[in-house]
Amino acid sequence: MTPFLQAIGIDKTYPGGVHANKSVDLTVSHSEVHAIVGENGAGKSTLMKILFGVEQPNAGEIRLDGTPIHLPSPRAAIAAGIGMVFQHFSLVPSFTVAENVVLGVEPRSGLRLDRKRAAETVQALADRFRLPVDVEAPVERLPVGQQQRVEILKALYRDAKLLILDEPTAVLAPQEVVELFAAIRSLTEQGRTILFIAHKLPEVIEISDTISVMRAGHMVGRVPKAEATEAGLARMMVGRDVALKVTRAKPGERKHLCRISGLTIKNDRGLDAISGMDIVLRAGEIVGIAAVEGNGQSELFDAIGGLRPVEKGSVELGGVDITAVPVDQRRDAGMAHIPEDRIATGSAGGATVAENFVATELEDERFVRHGLLDLGAIRAHAVKLIDHFSVRVNGPDAAIGTLSGGNMQKVVVARELSSNPKLLLVSHPTRGVDLGATEFIWQRLAVARDAGSAILLTSADLSELLSLSDRMIVLYRGRIVAAFADTTELTPETLGSYMLGFAEQPENERRAALA
Amino acid sequence: MTNGKLIFDETRRILFAAAVALLMALVIIFIASKTPFETFNTFIAGPLSSKRTIGNWIDDSAKLALAGLAFSLVFQARQFALGVQGQVYAGGTIAAAIALSPLGMSWVSIPLGALAAMLAGAFLGFIPGYAKAKLNANEIVSSLMLNYIAYDFANLILRLYLASAKTGLTASEAFPRSAVYPAFVQHTRIDLGVILALGSVAIVWFLLYRTAWGLRLRLTGHNARFAAYSGIRSNFIMVSAMTASGAIGGLLGALYVQGQGFGKIVVGFEGGLSFEGILIAIVARNRPLAIPFVALGYGYLRQGAALMGYRTDVPAEVIGIVQGIVILLVASSFTLPGRAFLNRIMGGTAAARAPST
Repeated sequence: MTPFLQAIGIDKTYPGGVHANKSVDLTVSHSEVHAIVGENGAGKSTLMKILFGVEQPNAGEIRLDGTPIHLPSPRAAIAAGIGMVFQHFSLVPSFTVAENVVLGVEPRSGLRLDRKRAAETVQALADRFRLPVDVEAPVERLPVGQQQRVEILKALYRDAKLLILDEPTAVLAPQEVVELFAAIRSLTEQGRTILFIAHKLPEVIEISDTISVMRAGHMVGRVPKAEATEAGLARMMVGRDVALKVTRAKPGERKHLCRISGLTIKNDRGLDAISGMDIVLRAGEIVGIAAVEGNGQSELFDAIGGLRPVEKGSVELGGVDITAVPVDQRRDAGMAHIPEDRIATGSAGGATVAENFVATELEDERFVRHGLLDLGAIRAHAVKLIDHFSVRVNGPDAAIGTLSGGNMQKVVVARELSSNPKLLLVSHPTRGVDLGATEFIWQRLAVARDAGSAILLTSADLSELLSLSDRMIVLYRGRIVAAFADTTELTPETLGSYMLGFAEQPENERRAALA
Repeated sequence: MTNGKLIFDETRRILFAAAVALLMALVIIFIASKTPFETFNTFIAGPLSSKRTIGNWIDDSAKLALAGLAFSLVFQARQFALGVQGQVYAGGTIAAAIALSPLGMSWVSIPLGALAAMLAGAFLGFIPGYAKAKLNANEIVSSLMLNYIAYDFANLILRLYLASAKTGLTASEAFPRSAVYPAFVQHTRIDLGVILALGSVAIVWFLLYRTAWGLRLRLTGHNARFAAYSGIRSNFIMVSAMTASGAIGGLLGALYVQGQGFGKIVVGFEGGLSFEGILIAIVARNRPLAIPFVALGYGYLRQGAALMGYRTDVPAEVIGIVQGIVILLVASSFTLPGRAFLNRIMGGTAAARAPST
């Protein structure tokens, strides 16, 4: 039987000289879920863009059902039955779901859009492929997971036989991932083929039938699901053994560093995001916060970081009350903050890497004297951090916006760790970051912990929380519903039932783990 | 991208924009003029036709540079305060009051006038900044409204105290010679103002790129949330940027009335030039060191258009069209047309697209 899609000897060099694909072969069978994994910069996205006609290969051939096809544009790819969902959606926020789906190929009555028929068709499509979504709702009111469904529906409406999903799970909460996977299975059952680009190996192994691995522009392997293991795939991706294991904090007496008492925080709509939270953080430990997106963890980190006012209660760090002081005084007291969004909060995109490194240190005699910048010292500081954290960048004068996600995150992590913080707030430290950088960032966090930092960590990735945390709490609707002094025996399932609010730990057990 | 390449690319873009704009001007002149070639010649070569017109060009450019500098300072902090015009009137009025006072008989009136004008401008710049920090008032609205207040207040002072009976309440007596900036080239308007403008450019560059205040300001402009997260007091930065910009606007006022161009204060002396500082700032991408060059280039076109207005049958308003096209082309980050097409037939894809994997 001929394979559904074959790419043979695809070679692509960008005008800038980047050799992104080096004679890459890819074979995808009918109605399978085929994952392509690889580090950032391995050439996955380039290959997908070639298959969707966005980029033109310098050499190579693409065959669909055995017939060579030429894809000069996305339009040609769509005509050939190839659809693609990018990481950044292209939807019209004020249009309804149905309008977005049919946009460009609308059913008409005369000159007008036939809204009723559009809604019916889209509804039928959504039912058929188990992609439930309110077809009459404006897209701007939908959560990210549903917007993604709209994108998938758009491709299906154009009759895509092959659907390319570019890191679809990067933006999703764990529950949404489950729903996406259900939809993917129903798609393949109905004869569609899925090409899936991903980072998180457990997910990849769960959903895929076949996994192709890319590294540095080469296709380095093709593994059927049955033979795939996380460690094996990681080794193929990185080219060496990857130890995604972090040593736990050594047991022993630790002094209290940060005391949070009776903390209440309002969200943007004036409702309680966090209500009456009490917890003590000790030097040399990582406290993990597990919660489904939107249960108060963002507001908690913003408030402790000084970006959101505290309604009631207090935060005390090393004997200093930092509840209501400006950010610079918090940082003086020993706080550092790796924010959840490295672009919106963690960096100034247009500024250079060196300027981004020094932004939090502008009171420091090393870099500023009498209000004047010591450019030499700032540069040397940047060069040192770039070197210590193996940031891949042309130099300290490059704009940080030109860095890849993983390298940008390394800059943020390097800056925040360089102040040897007492209290380190860490939000989603490896979201959208490749495996090598994830390993690196985890180890750095462990080093900071062993040096005596108290780390408050939250992540949408439960395996990350379980690997790093010495203690864990679960937030549900702004309240601590469970706390665990020992995380070694903890499973995602246990956490999940608390995260979804199905269960609540008895008060006395919780108390014991919070002190 | 290296600095050298950046400067080269930007320069090429600006020159191309200017060329397109000139071409449009040429088309309009052909439609509007009975003697198009002579008219176009006046437009293009007029500013160089005499020592006096060259002087006017240089003087205008110095003023445009100061206006552009004032705007670029607030724009770099991503504040859209548009109060330069009001600051010019406030500064000019104070400087005129000093020049017409007994102090005007001494050279002291020159530094004193400049200083007082800067203080007045700084105060006007401070108001919308403070209102934004404390009351969350939109700085665009408050600064524009202040322009009207400052303009009318300046007129009031002129009519009540400064105007001479001979001029029918629209202008003062000429200032004493000691209160007027000395001309460097006789019988031209090239005077101390050029030095003040260039000095201001150097000072603003130094403040922005060599001081912690400047770095804080630029970081706030790049990403205000990041600045807050880093511990930068962005309210202080915002208010101080607007205040400093106001001081430059005020200085421009002193440059006007005490310069060779006037040597007295006249109703509406600023003539709308302040707002053209926005174009200078945009085209220079708010870079202080680029501002004098952009000001010289734009000042030349402006002077050519003015001469065309005096000497030919085409009105000077053509410059408005040129200005519009330049802003449109530069602000929209156009690339040279045909590049994508060229790449397609060469077999590659658009070189402008950054390689991503």
